[in-house]
Amino acid sequence: MKITIKALCKLFGKVKAVDNLALEIRDGEFVALLGPSGCGKTTTLLMLAGIYKPSSGSIRFGEKVINHLTPKERNIGMVFQSYALYPHMTTFDNISYPLKLKKVHKKEMMKRVQATADMMGIGELLDRKPAELSGGQQQRVAVARALVKEPAILLFDEPLSNLDAKLRLRMRGEIKRLQESLGVTSVYVTHDQVEAMTMASRIAVMNFGVLQTYGSPNQLYDHPDTVFVAGFIGAPPMNFLEMRFEERDDGFYLGSQALEIRIPDERGAQAKQNDVPQRVIMGSRPEDVSVVAERDGDFKAEVYLIEPLGREDLVTFRFDSEEIRALTPAPFHGQIGETMSLKLDKEKVHLFNPETKVSVLRSGNGGSS
Amino acid sequence: MIVRPKVKPVLAYLALVVPSSLVLLGFLWLLITSFSTRTEGLKSLGWTLHNWRFLWESPFGPGYPSIWQITLNTLLMSLIMTVIVVVVSSMTGYALARMKFPGRKSFLSLTLILHAFPSVTLLIPIYFVLLWITKIPLIGRGVPLLGGFGYNTVGGVALVMVAFQLPFGIWIMKGFFDNISWDMERSALIDGASRFKVWWQIIMPNIRPGVAALSVFSFLTAWNAYLIPLTFTAGRAGKSVVLSLYLQNFISESVMTEWNAVAAVGLFQLIPVVVFFLFTQEALLNIYGGGRKGGA
Ligand SMILES: Nc1ncnc2c1ncn2[C@@H]1O[C@H](COP(=O)(O)OP(=O)(O)OP(=O)(O)O)[C@@H](O)[C@H]1O
Ligand SMILES: [Mg+2]
Repeated sequence: MKITIKALCKLFGKVKAVDNLALEIRDGEFVALLGPSGCGKTTTLLMLAGIYKPSSGSIRFGEKVINHLTPKERNIGMVFQSYALYPHMTTFDNISYPLKLKKVHKKEMMKRVQATADMMGIGELLDRKPAELSGGQQQRVAVARALVKEPAILLFDEPLSNLDAKLRLRMRGEIKRLQESLGVTSVYVTHDQVEAMTMASRIAVMNFGVLQTYGSPNQLYDHPDTVFVAGFIGAPPMNFLEMRFEERDDGFYLGSQALEIRIPDERGAQAKQNDVPQRVIMGSRPEDVSVVAERDGDFKAEVYLIEPLGREDLVTFRFDSEEIRALTPAPFHGQIGETMSLKLDKEKVHLFNPETKVSVLRSGNGGSS
Repeated sequence: MIVRPKVKPVLAYLALVVPSSLVLLGFLWLLITSFSTRTEGLKSLGWTLHNWRFLWESPFGPGYPSIWQITLNTLLMSLIMTVIVVVVSSMTGYALARMKFPGRKSFLSLTLILHAFPSVTLLIPIYFVLLWITKIPLIGRGVPLLGGFGYNTVGGVALVMVAFQLPFGIWIMKGFFDNISWDMERSALIDGASRFKVWWQIIMPNIRPGVAALSVFSFLTAWNAYLIPLTFTAGRAGKSVVLSLYLQNFISESVMTEWNAVAAVGLFQLIPVVVFFLFTQEALLNIYGGGRKGGA
């Protein structure tokens, strides 16, 4: 089922929890709603579910506006962060509850509950109460309950955040596979950018109730629209430095007290076309910063902190009261206090307008909010 | 140094044992007295069943309702009040905890004020209300068993008791509803349940301790009520008399008070209460432990 959201707003008193949201979700697509705590993700989801009435705007399932429909009439399944299982009912009763309400015939109900439970790997646990299940098992029951009525749309509200890291990784894969095999349009709320990147075909990033950007994981990673998106997507987060933008006869340059770099012509031209101001915010991901021999370096900096991550080491450098972090292959050959030469990957430099915080590398008018 | 950890529990037990033994001693005295002709302290001066004869004959003549009729009255009054209080409080508490409607805040503070209101001041106005209800045909005084819902009927007394108990009940139940997660309710709505089904099939089963606690509490309040039955029934010899009033007959007759009989009747009224407490201790603890959290 295709979902089209237009100019959607939700006010709680004076708080604008969701502000003028527009989003289109294709049939069978897996979309993640990503954003920090309190940015309106759950509110958006609950409006899709029919629990909250939108203050204004429209939601369409297919071609039909469904603003006024009750949750019951929407044919959706939802998985909550707290699982929201019914503690007084057995697993079987929990999973079969939506079918019971639909007055599905008993035989048919038994069959479908068993099939769904088997698919989720909880076929053996049907006569246990939620209190007798582990967190992971409860999670599976919650997913089974959402799936059993064969909903047109699946909604997930941070379903994995109560699980331990290992189980989270496993459930992540399972939910993704499940969604792909069933082909149910799904909206997945999370504040974990790794989860969003790995699971979703498109990610909608929200902040303070406003949609920041909407695109595929690679698009958001390689071409972030705003400083917020650039800093939010990717771990460890992107480095930002305030710099001067200059056009000279032989090309485009970024400069500050400590360093000057030349950026590729097409990037510079694009920025110029987007009315780049004199001062810009330059963004560079830690994996695009490398330690090099002195003659190849763009600038010099002092090692300030070394954080081993296993496969790589995350090293924080300081120069001129600025900080920059680099992901270097482990083991890192350097000591705290040592001065080293650093080089930025100019092909992957991002530029933002410091006033609007919007990227000046956008082509055309695509993407921005 | 080694003794010290043991001192505290000993003190705690002492603090518990001394007052409770005083109370228990009172009950022991009551028990012995009720089976004795006379007593000297805790010593019986002769055993007898004479004091318990009210169980099989009316000590105040044949025109007076039997103890069993009176017990039935008391039971009916208590049950009616309990059922109404629990049903109404559950629904109102849910609405107050979960729904948005105009006047919700003022309704909440009103219930709280009513709960704190001294009921004595309302006795006379209520008397007139009950007299007025009496004049309504059938409902007034034509209901079998209860008499009706007007003045001097079991139903009428129950009605007044309900009115005084409701604010308390509503607050307690609202507290229990407040402790139920919203997600569970939302989940049930999405599963396709109506609001009523959510309340009945999902929420109510999860606040059974609250329902139990309120039932027990309401029942005991009604069972032991004195002032309201006294005010709204026509004297201690009427058809709608309840146990707490019956006891009075023994004390205020112009003849000498038969303390031994008073002890027996008192014990008789006490039996259901004790039995109730034995079986429902946990639920009662709940109302003070669990209910308060979200309640006030
Ligand atoms: N029922 C409500 N009444 C009043 N304000 C609310 C209500 N629900 C949410 N809000 C407010 O709306 C904003 C968005 O809340 P929402 O729950 O959608 O955030 P979220 O993105 O899901 O955050 P989290 O990641 O912490 O779950 C917050 O500022 C919150 O305080
Ligand atoms: Mg949320």
